[in-house]
Amino acid sequence: MAARVTVLYFGAAQQVAGHASEEYAADDTLSLRRQIIERHPGIVRVTFRLALNRNLLKEESLLNENDIIAILPPFEGG
Amino acid sequence: MKNRYLVGGPITPLLISELMTLGNDDNGAGAVSIFIGKVRDDDVNGNRIKALEYSAYGEMAEKEADAIVKTVKAAFSDVRKVLLVHSTGLVRAGEASLFIMVTSGHRDHSARACRHTLEMVKEKLPVWKKEIF
Repeated sequence: MAARVTVLYFGAAQQVAGHASEEYAADDTLSLRRQIIERHPGIVRVTFRLALNRNLLKEESLLNENDIIAILPPFEGG
Repeated sequence: MKNRYLVGGPITPLLISELMTLGNDDNGAGAVSIFIGKVRDDDVNGNRIKALEYSAYGEMAEKEADAIVKTVKAAFSDVRKVLLVHSTGLVRAGEASLFIMVTSGHRDHSARACRHTLEMVKEKLPVWKKEIF
């Protein structure tokens, strides 16, 4: 069964999604990406990386129940 | 988690004064380097920026800021203290949104480590800004 996970949107991704967070059910980040794009087609215009439980992902990953995935557009601090 | 690196609103002169006092309790530190980042009133297509609204992924920012401080201390052996504070929320043009303070025994490491900290903040701190006109 797919894991229930929370997706957090930041920066330009949050403006496209219209929410700060949403719930999804997905086995892995690749499946999650597809679902996010289905729900928010405009997000393809946003460059972003993923963080899984506060750690930046370098490659796709399996997901576990209650994982938190953050959609991180390029950082703009300073 | 206690929020040690993010502050709501601008980094005021009073807060800067408090941070400098906090970081200046070490008589073995012969050098103090400070960087203060401010919001510019840039002109964007004929519209002047009045403020920036900063947002952050708080839990990750705290973790990354902690890692930045540890990395800088490990890379510069003479560094004694690294203070790092970034704003969230509204910061008006002319106000400060970033404060970095590095102390070290001698000048070389404080100056270089301060610059290095700044570059790491730009690269690693999950913070975003929205222009307000």
